[in-house]
Amino acid sequence: MSASTTQKIDPNRLTLWERHYPGHDMISTRTFGFWLYMLTDAMVYAALFASLGVLSHAVNLAGGPPPSAIINPVYAYGETITLFLSVLAYGYSMVALKSGSRGGVVGGMFVSMLLGVVFLAIAATDMGHLFAQGVVPETSGFLSIFFTILIYHALHIVVGVVWMLVMIAQIARDGFSANVVYRLINLRLFWHFQAVIWVFVFTFVYLQGMVA
Amino acid sequence: MTQHTQNPLEHPEVQLANGRAYLGSFILSALLMTAGLWLTITHAMSPFAAILATSLLAGVAVIIQGYLLLHMDLSHAQIWHTVAMVLFLPLFVVTIGLTAWMFHGLYERTMIMPPAMSSMSH
Repeated sequence: MSASTTQKIDPNRLTLWERHYPGHDMISTRTFGFWLYMLTDAMVYAALFASLGVLSHAVNLAGGPPPSAIINPVYAYGETITLFLSVLAYGYSMVALKSGSRGGVVGGMFVSMLLGVVFLAIAATDMGHLFAQGVVPETSGFLSIFFTILIYHALHIVVGVVWMLVMIAQIARDGFSANVVYRLINLRLFWHFQAVIWVFVFTFVYLQGMVA
Repeated sequence: MTQHTQNPLEHPEVQLANGRAYLGSFILSALLMTAGLWLTITHAMSPFAAILATSLLAGVAVIIQGYLLLHMDLSHAQIWHTVAMVLFLPLFVVTIGLTAWMFHGLYERTMIMPPAMSSMSH
């Protein structure tokens, strides 16, 4: 038997449980659950990028244009800066949340939402030009995955913009209740994660597409 | 995860918001992506070197954003988010890397390569 087990225990100094249960941390539990969901969403992107790696091979061009012939770096760079600015605006919205500034949170979110709409407008213009030139998803395997990735990411931006609208309404109705706060944190995770994913989209789809 | 606080605005995940970190992430990410674009449009490197360089720039940008934007650190409030991310990353890389590697190997053995690709392999 070890020395520690033979020592006499003083029941008056022993703490077996916390006398004041701090309570279930609803905010952390829900944000962590949502974070796991975001990582599963990222696995969908992994499948899409894997498909891009396969379908961007020359044998999958099927007589259609190669990536370097269709990619417009001006649009892609414009989308990059717009999305990063939108993420920055949402970040400042979260800074305003620390002090409970309703105007700061809604204002930051509104700017972020507007920039999200600008991002979508640039993406729609880029795709509209390609469609007008006859560059459509069904032309080749490469174009199928090219448009799938861009549209899948754009759908996330649409979801984020709608989510921001909903949160502005919920802040107006409920203020900063626990439910509203955890949803704002989840939206921060969601929106900031779009910037991380966009780094991959910009690099693997656009930049490396132009090189190939 | 952290202990519950009565005022939701005092929750650690609210209080970790940091304007300087978000601004730093924006500036560094924008600079890294601009550098990648410059490398690509100026053809300053061979295609293979440009692919490696842009991948490296993207990797650095993602690490910066992970730390400054997503708060992936070892703090009490964020450690389990970070653990989940660290466990996720190999799955992400392996899914993309192995799939691309397998199919490129398959194509080389089974497909008739276009002339441009055939000349590149010699």
